[in-house]
Amino acid sequence: MKWTVYDVEMYEKEKQYIDTVVIPLMPLTLSSGAKAAVSGGEFVQLLTNEIERQLKGRLFLLPPFTYFVTEPISECTKRLNDWTNELKESGMDHVFYVTSDRQWKEIEQQLSGTLFSFPAVPFEHMDEAYKRQIVQEQTTKLLNAFISQWT
Amino acid sequence: MSENKHRVSRRQFLNYTLTGVGGFMAAGILMPMVRFALDPILKEEAGTEMVPVAQVKDLTTEPQRFDFKVKVKDAWYESEEPKSAWVYKDEKGEVIALSPICTHLGCTVNWNGDKAHPNQFFCPCHFGRYTKDGTNIPGTPPPAPLHRYEYKVKDGKLYLGKAKPRGEV
Repeated sequence: MKWTVYDVEMYEKEKQYIDTVVIPLMPLTLSSGAKAAVSGGEFVQLLTNEIERQLKGRLFLLPPFTYFVTEPISECTKRLNDWTNELKESGMDHVFYVTSDRQWKEIEQQLSGTLFSFPAVPFEHMDEAYKRQIVQEQTTKLLNAFISQWT
Repeated sequence: MSENKHRVSRRQFLNYTLTGVGGFMAAGILMPMVRFALDPILKEEAGTEMVPVAQVKDLTTEPQRFDFKVKVKDAWYESEEPKSAWVYKDEKGEVIALSPICTHLGCTVNWNGDKAHPNQFFCPCHFGRYTKDGTNIPGTPPPAPLHRYEYKVKDGKLYLGKAKPRGEV
Protein backbone atom coordinates (compact mmCIF):
# COMPACT_ATOMS: atom_id res chain seq x y z
CA MET A 1 0.00 0.00 0.00
CA LYS A 2 1.14 3.47 -0.75
CA TRP A 3 0.50 6.81 0.82
CA THR A 4 -2.56 7.54 -1.34
CA VAL A 5 -6.22 8.08 -0.54
CA TYR A 6 -7.28 4.92 -2.35
CA ASP A 7 -4.84 2.73 -0.46
CA VAL A 8 -5.54 4.35 2.90
CA GLU A 9 -9.23 3.58 2.43
CA MET A 10 -8.30 -0.03 1.89
CA TYR A 11 -6.05 0.09 4.93
CA GLU A 12 -8.88 1.29 7.12
CA LYS A 13 -11.09 -1.55 5.93
CA GLU A 14 -8.50 -4.30 6.17
CA LYS A 15 -6.48 -3.10 9.17
CA GLN A 16 -6.19 -6.58 10.68
CA TYR A 17 -4.15 -7.81 7.71
CA ILE A 18 -1.66 -4.95 7.48
CA ASP A 19 0.99 -5.14 10.15
CA THR A 20 4.13 -3.89 8.43
CA VAL A 21 5.50 -0.47 7.54
CA VAL A 22 8.37 0.17 5.17
CA ILE A 23 10.24 3.46 5.46
CA PRO A 24 12.93 4.39 2.93
CA LEU A 25 15.70 6.37 4.66
CA MET A 26 16.98 9.03 2.35
CA PRO A 27 19.86 11.45 2.87
CA LEU A 28 19.68 14.88 1.24
CA THR A 29 22.38 17.32 0.29
CA LEU A 30 23.08 19.86 -2.40
CA SER A 31 26.77 20.34 -1.78
CA SER A 32 29.50 17.86 -2.69
CA GLY A 33 28.35 14.28 -2.65
CA ALA A 34 24.89 15.19 -3.92
CA LYS A 35 25.16 12.81 -6.82
CA ALA A 36 26.04 9.86 -4.66
CA ALA A 37 23.21 10.66 -2.27
CA VAL A 38 20.73 10.94 -5.13
CA SER A 39 21.75 7.74 -6.81
CA GLY A 40 21.49 5.86 -3.54
CA GLY A 41 18.10 7.41 -2.90
CA GLU A 42 16.88 6.60 -6.39
CA PHE A 43 17.85 2.99 -6.01
CA VAL A 44 16.05 2.73 -2.69
CA GLN A 45 12.93 4.29 -4.23
CA LEU A 46 12.93 1.77 -7.08
CA LEU A 47 13.46 -1.08 -4.69
CA THR A 48 10.75 -0.09 -2.23
CA ASN A 49 8.25 0.60 -5.02
CA GLU A 50 8.85 -2.83 -6.46
CA ILE A 51 8.55 -4.54 -3.08
CA GLU A 52 5.33 -2.64 -2.46
CA ARG A 53 3.94 -3.95 -5.74
CA GLN A 54 4.64 -7.51 -4.76
CA LEU A 55 3.58 -7.39 -1.13
CA LYS A 56 1.03 -4.62 -1.15
CA GLY A 57 -1.51 -6.60 0.83
CA ARG A 58 0.54 -6.68 3.97
CA LEU A 59 2.84 -3.71 3.98
CA PHE A 60 2.44 0.00 3.94
CA LEU A 61 5.11 2.01 2.12
CA LEU A 62 5.48 5.38 3.81
CA PRO A 63 6.93 8.49 2.16
CA PRO A 64 10.72 8.53 2.72
CA PHE A 65 12.29 9.59 5.96
CA THR A 66 14.53 12.38 4.78
CA TYR A 67 17.39 14.12 6.54
CA PHE A 68 20.21 16.40 5.57
CA VAL A 69 23.59 14.72 5.66
CA THR A 70 24.75 17.41 8.07
CA GLU A 71 22.16 16.38 10.64
CA PRO A 72 23.96 14.42 13.40
CA ILE A 73 23.15 10.73 13.28
CA SER A 74 22.04 10.77 16.92
CA GLU A 75 19.33 13.33 16.06
CA CYS A 76 18.21 11.25 13.08
CA THR A 77 18.06 8.14 15.19
CA LYS A 78 15.92 9.86 17.77
CA ARG A 79 13.56 11.22 15.15
CA LEU A 80 13.30 7.86 13.41
CA ASN A 81 12.65 6.03 16.65
CA ASP A 82 9.88 8.51 17.40
CA TRP A 83 8.29 7.66 14.04
CA THR A 84 8.66 3.98 14.77
CA ASN A 85 7.10 4.15 18.21
CA GLU A 86 4.24 6.18 16.81
CA LEU A 87 3.64 3.52 14.17
CA LYS A 88 3.88 0.65 16.62
CA GLU A 89 1.35 2.36 18.85
CA SER A 90 -1.08 2.51 15.93
CA GLY A 91 -0.92 -1.23 15.52
CA MET A 92 2.05 -2.01 13.30
CA ASP A 93 4.07 -5.02 14.43
CA HIS A 94 6.97 -4.63 12.02
CA VAL A 95 8.76 -1.47 10.99
CA PHE A 96 11.31 -2.02 8.23
CA TYR A 97 13.84 0.61 7.09
CA VAL A 98 15.40 0.38 3.67
CA THR A 99 18.44 2.49 2.93
CA SER A 100 21.68 2.70 1.05
CA ASP A 101 23.21 5.16 3.47
CA ARG A 102 26.00 3.29 5.19
CA GLN A 103 25.99 5.21 8.46
CA TRP A 104 22.77 3.55 9.63
CA LYS A 105 24.49 0.20 9.66
CA GLU A 106 26.85 1.43 12.37
CA ILE A 107 24.13 2.36 14.80
CA GLU A 108 21.75 -0.46 13.90
CA GLN A 109 21.44 -1.61 17.53
CA GLN A 110 19.92 1.70 18.58
CA LEU A 111 17.03 1.50 16.12
CA SER A 112 13.59 0.33 17.18
CA GLY A 113 12.82 -1.15 13.77
CA THR A 114 14.62 -3.56 11.47
CA LEU A 115 17.25 -2.19 9.11
CA PHE A 116 17.84 -3.46 5.57
CA SER A 117 20.76 -1.72 3.97
CA PHE A 118 21.92 -2.02 0.38
CA PRO A 119 25.02 -0.75 -1.34
CA ALA A 120 24.11 2.00 -3.80
CA VAL A 121 24.31 0.93 -7.42
CA PRO A 122 25.62 3.50 -9.91
CA PHE A 123 22.70 3.46 -12.28
CA GLU A 124 23.54 6.35 -14.57
CA HIS A 125 25.64 4.39 -17.04
CA MET A 126 23.50 1.29 -17.17
CA ASP A 127 21.10 0.30 -19.85
CA GLU A 128 17.46 -0.27 -19.04
CA ALA A 129 17.44 -4.06 -19.18
CA TYR A 130 20.43 -4.47 -16.89
CA LYS A 131 19.00 -1.94 -14.48
CA ARG A 132 15.75 -3.84 -14.28
CA GLN A 133 17.59 -7.10 -13.72
CA ILE A 134 19.48 -5.66 -10.78
CA VAL A 135 16.38 -4.20 -9.19
CA GLN A 136 14.66 -7.53 -9.69
CA GLU A 137 17.48 -9.44 -8.01
CA GLN A 138 17.68 -7.08 -5.05
CA THR A 139 13.90 -7.12 -4.70
CA THR A 140 13.84 -10.89 -4.46
CA LYS A 141 16.52 -10.71 -1.78
CA LEU A 142 14.59 -8.11 0.17
CA LEU A 143 11.36 -10.04 -0.29
CA ASN A 144 12.82 -13.16 1.26
CA ALA A 145 14.31 -11.12 4.09
CA PHE A 146 10.87 -9.60 4.80
CA ILE A 147 9.14 -12.96 4.70
CA SER A 148 11.63 -14.49 7.10
CA GLN A 149 10.93 -11.62 9.50
CA TRP A 150 7.23 -12.35 9.34
CA THR A 151 7.41 -15.99 10.27
CA MET B 1 -22.62 26.26 -84.13
CA SER B 2 -20.78 22.99 -84.16
CA GLU B 3 -17.86 24.82 -82.66
CA ASN B 4 -20.04 26.13 -79.85
CA LYS B 5 -20.87 22.60 -78.71
CA HIS B 6 -17.38 22.11 -77.41
CA ARG B 7 -17.15 25.49 -75.90
CA VAL B 8 -18.02 26.26 -72.35
CA SER B 9 -20.15 29.29 -72.02
CA ARG B 10 -19.48 31.94 -69.42
CA ARG B 11 -22.63 30.86 -67.56
CA GLN B 12 -21.61 27.21 -67.54
CA PHE B 13 -18.09 28.01 -66.45
CA LEU B 14 -19.33 30.05 -63.52
CA ASN B 15 -21.78 27.32 -62.61
CA TYR B 16 -19.11 24.66 -62.54
CA THR B 17 -16.59 26.66 -60.59
CA LEU B 18 -19.12 27.89 -58.03
CA THR B 19 -20.51 24.37 -57.47
CA GLY B 20 -16.99 23.04 -57.13
CA VAL B 21 -15.83 25.67 -54.68
CA GLY B 22 -19.16 25.61 -52.83
CA GLY B 23 -19.00 21.83 -52.51
CA PHE B 24 -15.48 22.05 -51.20
CA MET B 25 -16.47 24.55 -48.56
CA ALA B 26 -19.53 22.54 -47.54
CA ALA B 27 -17.39 19.45 -47.20
CA GLY B 28 -14.94 21.40 -45.07
CA ILE B 29 -17.74 22.29 -42.67
CA LEU B 30 -19.46 18.89 -42.68
CA MET B 31 -16.46 16.60 -42.35
CA PRO B 32 -15.57 17.53 -38.75
CA MET B 33 -19.26 17.31 -37.81
CA VAL B 34 -19.48 13.78 -39.17
CA ARG B 35 -16.27 12.90 -37.37
CA PHE B 36 -17.66 14.20 -34.08
CA ALA B 37 -20.79 12.12 -34.54
CA LEU B 38 -18.83 8.95 -35.25
CA ASP B 39 -16.06 9.56 -32.75
CA PRO B 40 -17.27 7.24 -29.97
CA ILE B 41 -17.34 4.33 -32.43
CA LEU B 42 -13.91 5.01 -33.88
CA LYS B 43 -12.23 5.32 -30.51
CA GLU B 44 -10.65 2.04 -29.50
CA GLU B 45 -11.26 0.92 -25.97
CA ALA B 46 -8.30 1.77 -23.77
CA GLY B 47 -6.15 -1.11 -22.59
CA THR B 48 -7.53 -3.75 -24.92
CA GLU B 49 -4.40 -4.09 -26.97
CA MET B 50 -2.73 -7.43 -26.71
CA VAL B 51 0.93 -7.58 -25.76
CA PRO B 52 3.33 -10.28 -26.96
CA VAL B 53 4.56 -12.14 -23.90
CA ALA B 54 6.16 -15.44 -24.83
CA GLN B 55 6.79 -18.02 -27.53
CA VAL B 56 4.17 -20.75 -27.48
CA LYS B 57 6.82 -23.45 -27.85
CA ASP B 58 8.40 -22.36 -24.56
CA LEU B 59 5.25 -23.17 -22.63
CA THR B 60 5.14 -26.31 -20.52
CA THR B 61 2.61 -27.99 -18.29
CA GLU B 62 4.41 -26.40 -15.36
CA PRO B 63 3.40 -22.78 -14.73
CA GLN B 64 6.15 -20.34 -15.72
CA ARG B 65 6.39 -16.70 -14.90
CA PHE B 66 6.54 -14.20 -17.75
CA ASP B 67 7.03 -10.49 -17.25
CA PHE B 68 5.73 -7.92 -19.65
CA LYS B 69 4.73 -4.28 -19.79
CA VAL B 70 1.56 -2.45 -20.63
CA LYS B 71 1.04 1.24 -21.24
CA VAL B 72 -1.27 2.86 -18.75
CA LYS B 73 -2.64 6.36 -18.58
CA ASP B 74 -3.14 7.69 -15.10
CA ALA B 75 -4.82 11.08 -15.45
CA TRP B 76 -2.25 13.10 -17.42
CA TYR B 77 0.63 10.83 -16.62
CA GLU B 78 1.39 8.07 -19.09
CA SER B 79 3.63 5.27 -17.99
CA GLU B 80 4.50 1.65 -18.48
CA GLU B 81 3.23 -0.71 -15.86
CA PRO B 82 5.16 -3.90 -15.27
CA LYS B 83 2.95 -6.97 -15.14
CA SER B 84 3.51 -10.66 -14.92
CA ALA B 85 1.60 -13.81 -15.69
CA TRP B 86 1.81 -17.46 -14.73
CA VAL B 87 1.38 -19.39 -17.97
CA TYR B 88 1.08 -23.12 -18.62
CA LYS B 89 -0.64 -25.60 -20.90
CA ASP B 90 -3.26 -27.90 -19.46
CA GLU B 91 -3.76 -31.58 -20.40
CA LYS B 92 -5.77 -30.61 -23.46
CA GLY B 93 -2.95 -28.40 -24.64
CA GLU B 94 -4.90 -25.25 -23.93
CA VAL B 95 -3.02 -22.20 -22.72
CA ILE B 96 -3.90 -20.93 -19.26
CA ALA B 97 -2.55 -17.51 -18.30
CA LEU B 98 -3.18 -16.54 -14.71
CA SER B 99 -2.73 -13.15 -13.16
CA PRO B 100 -0.36 -13.32 -10.16
CA ILE B 101 -2.38 -10.76 -8.24
CA CYS B 102 -3.88 -12.32 -5.11
CA THR B 103 -7.61 -11.68 -4.99
CA HIS B 104 -7.37 -11.02 -1.29
CA LEU B 105 -5.36 -7.81 -0.96
CA GLY B 106 -3.29 -7.71 -4.12
CA CYS B 107 0.05 -9.28 -3.29
CA THR B 108 1.96 -11.26 -5.89
CA VAL B 109 1.53 -15.02 -5.66
CA ASN B 110 4.21 -17.58 -6.47
CA TRP B 111 4.03 -21.08 -7.89
CA ASN B 112 5.31 -23.66 -5.40
CA GLY B 113 6.08 -20.84 -2.95
CA ASP B 114 5.24 -22.93 0.09
CA LYS B 115 7.21 -26.11 0.68
CA ALA B 116 4.42 -27.63 2.79
CA HIS B 117 1.93 -27.36 -0.08
CA PRO B 118 3.57 -28.25 -3.39
CA ASN B 119 1.92 -27.64 -6.77
CA GLN B 120 -0.08 -24.71 -5.56
CA PHE B 121 0.08 -20.96 -5.95
CA PHE B 122 1.07 -19.35 -2.68
CA CYS B 123 0.64 -15.80 -1.44
CA PRO B 124 3.38 -14.88 1.07
CA CYS B 125 1.38 -12.08 2.69
CA HIS B 126 -1.38 -13.98 4.43
CA PHE B 127 -0.66 -17.52 3.28
CA GLY B 128 -3.45 -17.67 0.75
CA ARG B 129 -3.31 -20.69 -1.57
CA TYR B 130 -4.71 -21.57 -4.97
CA THR B 131 -4.74 -24.79 -6.95
CA LYS B 132 -2.97 -25.01 -10.31
CA ASP B 133 -6.00 -23.79 -12.25
CA GLY B 134 -6.21 -20.75 -9.95
CA THR B 135 -9.08 -21.87 -7.72
CA ASN B 136 -8.78 -20.45 -4.23
CA ILE B 137 -8.49 -23.09 -1.53
CA PRO B 138 -11.22 -22.78 1.10
CA GLY B 139 -9.95 -21.91 4.54
CA THR B 140 -7.30 -19.53 3.20
CA PRO B 141 -7.95 -15.76 2.97
CA PRO B 142 -8.54 -15.28 -0.80
CA PRO B 143 -12.23 -14.75 -1.61
CA ALA B 144 -12.09 -15.62 -5.34
CA PRO B 145 -10.03 -17.55 -7.93
CA LEU B 146 -7.04 -15.88 -9.59
CA HIS B 147 -7.98 -13.77 -12.58
CA ARG B 148 -7.23 -15.06 -16.07
CA TYR B 149 -5.72 -13.12 -18.91
CA GLU B 150 -7.45 -12.97 -22.25
CA TYR B 151 -5.04 -14.45 -24.72
CA LYS B 152 -4.51 -15.14 -28.39
CA VAL B 153 -1.87 -17.03 -30.31
CA LYS B 154 -0.49 -15.55 -33.50
CA ASP B 155 2.61 -16.63 -35.45
CA GLY B 156 3.73 -18.87 -32.61
CA LYS B 157 3.63 -16.02 -30.14
CA LEU B 158 1.40 -15.71 -27.13
CA TYR B 159 -0.37 -12.37 -26.73
CA LEU B 160 -2.03 -11.40 -23.48
CA GLY B 161 -4.73 -8.81 -22.96
CA LYS B 162 -6.67 -7.91 -19.85
CA ALA B 163 -6.95 -10.03 -16.75
CA LYS B 164 -10.57 -10.85 -16.00
CA PRO B 165 -12.31 -12.70 -13.20
CA ARG B 166 -12.93 -16.35 -14.01
CA GLY B 167 -16.06 -16.95 -16.00
CA GLU B 168 -15.69 -13.79 -18.05
CA VAL B 169 -12.84 -14.93 -20.28
